[in-house]
Amino acid sequence: MTPIIRFEHVSVNAHEKTILSDISFELFPGEKAVLCGKSGSGKSSILRTLLGLHALSRGMVYFRGKPLDYLSVQAIRSCTAYIGQEPVLGADSVREALLLPFQFKAHRGRQPAEAQLIEALQRLQLPADILKQASNHISVGEKQRIALARGLLLGKNLYLLDEVTSALDEASKQAVFEVFSDPGLTVLSVAHDPDWISRCNRVIKLEEGRLIQDVT
Amino acid sequence: MKTLDIALPQMALLYGLCVLPWLLLWLIGLRLSRDIAVSILRMSIQLMLVGIYLKMLFHLNNPWFNGLWILMMLLVADWSILQRAGLKARYFFLATFTAIASSILFTTAYLVILVIQPAHFYDARYLVPLAGMILGNCLQGNVIALERFYSALRKSENEYVTFLLLGASRWEAVRPYFRLAVKAAINPTIAGMATMGLVSLPGMMTGQILGGSEPWLAVKYQIAIMICIFTGTTAACIINLKLSLAIAFNPFDVLKEEIIDKH
Repeated sequence: MTPIIRFEHVSVNAHEKTILSDISFELFPGEKAVLCGKSGSGKSSILRTLLGLHALSRGMVYFRGKPLDYLSVQAIRSCTAYIGQEPVLGADSVREALLLPFQFKAHRGRQPAEAQLIEALQRLQLPADILKQASNHISVGEKQRIALARGLLLGKNLYLLDEVTSALDEASKQAVFEVFSDPGLTVLSVAHDPDWISRCNRVIKLEEGRLIQDVT
Repeated sequence: MKTLDIALPQMALLYGLCVLPWLLLWLIGLRLSRDIAVSILRMSIQLMLVGIYLKMLFHLNNPWFNGLWILMMLLVADWSILQRAGLKARYFFLATFTAIASSILFTTAYLVILVIQPAHFYDARYLVPLAGMILGNCLQGNVIALERFYSALRKSENEYVTFLLLGASRWEAVRPYFRLAVKAAINPTIAGMATMGLVSLPGMMTGQILGGSEPWLAVKYQIAIMICIFTGTTAACIINLKLSLAIAFNPFDVLKEEIIDKH
């Protein structure tokens, strides 16, 4: 089986500092992997590198067997949902935020119906009336789940999650775990939360930009 | 009607007026003496040199000399726009030159050839001051457009990246910042047109009236120049920003850090 993601001896320098050094690993469809390590160990940099946001100084990243270039990075971005610690919703209201991607040419004409919006919200323990709220009046935990709901509405199957349960209560966390129990979804995450780590089938440990342990 | 000359003693009296703002600034604790002195000196020397050059230019009225003067103005404006917008000239010089040259030449040619229709289109009396006025305003607009656009993009990097990751093309992702930058650049011109004649008498019109023109003729020239300034500035800002998009990003749509002049 072709790995969905392959890092081959990847090194990345940013601001005259090595942030990733000789990283190699593969991620297969359906895997739920978590990157662990201290702050500054390079966890988030791996996610950003995969999205083409850091230039490689050595090695190569492959997506579905193709090296990372202008075309493959578009392919990665079109099938990937990236949810950071404090996601940017990019619109004034929650409804506009959920519908934002459908204004872009890549998703135009696929705008979800009201019932689909509500269903996506409810899967993540969010009430339907949150649609009317202003984006800057909701909590970080709600923002994270709205960003996840946006990924679900777009039908994304690769999720890059950076501390996505950091601001969630127990019930919301369970809802997120439920969503990612779907074997069709591939997850590469960054987490310190023991609950999240225990639900991942693979733990990749990093230290000072180096991969030191990869346990399945 | 002949315009009254300002004799040298009266010119000295005029410079004396600068003591008032200098004193006011000093009283509020702003120590700008050096900047003020340098600016007034530069303005005076530059205008005197322009006066000498324009006198020669009007006397010769040669299309090549006139063209050379406009080219020089464009090159200085190009350098000045990039320096003030905080962008490195080695990356954007050609793009900015293309944008301002095409917009200024088009609007000036439109005004001179189609509207004013002098005996010779290259007549220095019309071509040089009109191109200069349009370019001067266009310069301000382009500084605002480039500066606002790139500082907004850097400030909102997370939002821009979010747009990309939600499927936006580079153009779709930068469009909100692009629109705001163009709006900021042309707003002063739009506001200026809306209040013109009510709040202030524009410089060119005042100059023409002082020069002995009929007020009605001065009004027509002022309308013509304002429409050309608006057209030239809008076109130059949009072309400039559009051309810069091809230079400022890497193939993965990430803004290149090295284009920003941090000095």
